[in-house]
Amino acid sequence: MDIAEVLKNTSPELFLPDLKSSDNASALAELVEGLTTGMDIKNPDTILQMLQSRESLGSTAVGPGIAFPHGRTLAVQRLTILMARSTAGVDFDSEDGNPTHLFFVLIAPPQDMGHQYIKSLATLIDTVQDADLRDKLMAAEDYETFCAALRGE
Amino acid sequence: MHPQLQLLVALQDMTGMIREVEEKGSELEDMGFKNAGLEDLKRARQELEAKIDPQLMGTFRRLTDKFGRAVVPVVGNHCTGCFAQIPSSFVSKTNAGKLQRCESCGRILYWP
Repeated sequence: MDIAEVLKNTSPELFLPDLKSSDNASALAELVEGLTTGMDIKNPDTILQMLQSRESLGSTAVGPGIAFPHGRTLAVQRLTILMARSTAGVDFDSEDGNPTHLFFVLIAPPQDMGHQYIKSLATLIDTVQDADLRDKLMAAEDYETFCAALRGE
Repeated sequence: MHPQLQLLVALQDMTGMIREVEEKGSELEDMGFKNAGLEDLKRARQELEAKIDPQLMGTFRRLTDKFGRAVVPVVGNHCTGCFAQIPSSFVSKTNAGKLQRCESCGRILYWP
């Protein structure tokens, strides 16, 4: 799956250019609030609980300054990706102890039989390994520039 | 949403997450995700189960054994488990907050 295909699951409404939160719990709540604002979700608590459960397995801050909160829930009907950025950084229990600046939240329905969200997750993780790209993402002025950087444009 | 339904949805989501880690854990670990908290998550699932009415929990288990998923979303007025049409009376104001089951297959209905 290429990055352009992955980005079909997000939209300008699902982009948070500067998170206010500084810790794990409040960041998750802010990300879910962003999802609720960006799409028609009636039960945001269900998503928050699922993401909290996922973090309890182990922090999803697995990249250098990047976290990938993810999981499946009945609360959504299709794969949905929210992208967010924090200039100040969030203490997201990363393995290296460094603050997290970029968030890619992937929420999939349980009936995602082709494991599209896992494939999307793998593509995003591969894409953001490049340090120059991460700099571009942090400097991107808006959603379009952010996506263009991800696509390597 | 009915408070017990909220718990059932959380339980089903959590069970799916545990199953995914058990089935695809190595793939997720190759991506860098650690799943060290699996046993803690299983304990959290047990604690969640204890909050659910025992009779409802029995129904949930029977439906899960039969169908794989006991709770299914209603999309376009259809049960996504068996695709039977859900009567509009199910979503009336008087039924808001009630726990509803599909008249055709018996699955527990959830309006996402």
